[in-house]
Amino acid sequence: MSDSISILKLDPGHAFGVNGRMQKDTGNESKIIDQYDFAYANLENVDVILIPNFIDQEFLYSQREKIAAFLEEKKIVVYCGHLFREWLPGCGPFMPQLIRSYKDYEVFPNADSSIFQGVTTEDMTFKKGVAGFFARGYHHAPEDAKILLTFSNGKAVTYVDRSTTNGTILVHAGRDLLGYANENKSTDLIRPQFLAWLEAEVQSLKECTVQ
Amino acid sequence: MRKIGVIYSGNESHYRTFLEPKFNQYIKKLIYHPDFLETDIDDLDVLIVPSQLNHKLLLASVKKIQSFADKGGIVVAFGPQPWSWLPAQQWEERPTNFWWWLEKDASSGLVLQQPKHPLFNGYLTLADCTWHQHGVFWPPENADILISTEDGGAVLYIDTTSTGGTWIITTLDPDFHFGSYFMPATERFFEGFFPYLAYGKIS
Repeated sequence: MSDSISILKLDPGHAFGVNGRMQKDTGNESKIIDQYDFAYANLENVDVILIPNFIDQEFLYSQREKIAAFLEEKKIVVYCGHLFREWLPGCGPFMPQLIRSYKDYEVFPNADSSIFQGVTTEDMTFKKGVAGFFARGYHHAPEDAKILLTFSNGKAVTYVDRSTTNGTILVHAGRDLLGYANENKSTDLIRPQFLAWLEAEVQSLKECTVQ
Repeated sequence: MRKIGVIYSGNESHYRTFLEPKFNQYIKKLIYHPDFLETDIDDLDVLIVPSQLNHKLLLASVKKIQSFADKGGIVVAFGPQPWSWLPAQQWEERPTNFWWWLEKDASSGLVLQQPKHPLFNGYLTLADCTWHQHGVFWPPENADILISTEDGGAVLYIDTTSTGGTWIITTLDPDFHFGSYFMPATERFFEGFFPYLAYGKIS
């Protein structure tokens, strides 16, 4: 686990998670629990909850008050996936991107996004020449959200919302951001830069609490 | 029309796949997985066990699924199976070549073993079953292998002898791919497979 921040990751317990077939979180920064144990988890010392795709969103909807209460404590929730139940404050349902050519899968980082700094559109868009692994849709972001990554039509693939709650919500309409590593391309930057962003965000929220 | 039940994980891909109206109209009972053990499935003819289920819930469900089969039910299992729960299961995990179609002399490596089987007469073509696979099964001797890899590993087989019921088992995971807006063949797969489950001659 990270020395400086406490990350709790919910595990859907699915087949692809066994050997990292889809995405392999190569690190041990997170404490991982089965998704259904979240109902009993003590979040007092947790700074960040990471929620990957494959999660049971019907279950998360039943936990929406616990998630909202966590955020009210100036904490961070990161969701990577396609939202279809309103369990995450401020986040609209996932909408698939209209695909007419592979170029519709292209994603573009905003210049001031530290998480995607130095990560190229080509490396995010293609995997072994196949487009579409990285993101295939978007969420409706709250008005004040900071957009980190978009399709060419401006739709938000990744955004940060610091307005809807006392805490910070990061929504990424794709796979676990900690899983981008060891592919010998610029997407390998995502994992360390995302962890650095989390640490800075936790610090910022804590300083804000002190004031 | 056979009565089809589906175990529903609550994940994003199953939400899209099994609530899509053209597929959902074939589903009599969509059973939220945490409620499965308390749900009556005796009125069903077919039970679909999708890929990527939570393994703790899956393993807790096995006895009930096997009992359903033993009473003559048809069980359909999709996708990779890292946990052993199918009759006489022999699963071999393999690397996934998802870019094969970009290679020179592209070949999916799939072989249609039984072109005269009812599944491939009016319901599905091999192309409808072709995107990629995550491994193969080595089924029991008396099973009918309908689709294999070139080295004979089973990609889709029907087992009517290991239990009192019928098991349609495939390494293919169209429930995940259609539901995550990836691999268009998976939509054609379900457009043929649901009508087959409802009306086709299974074995």
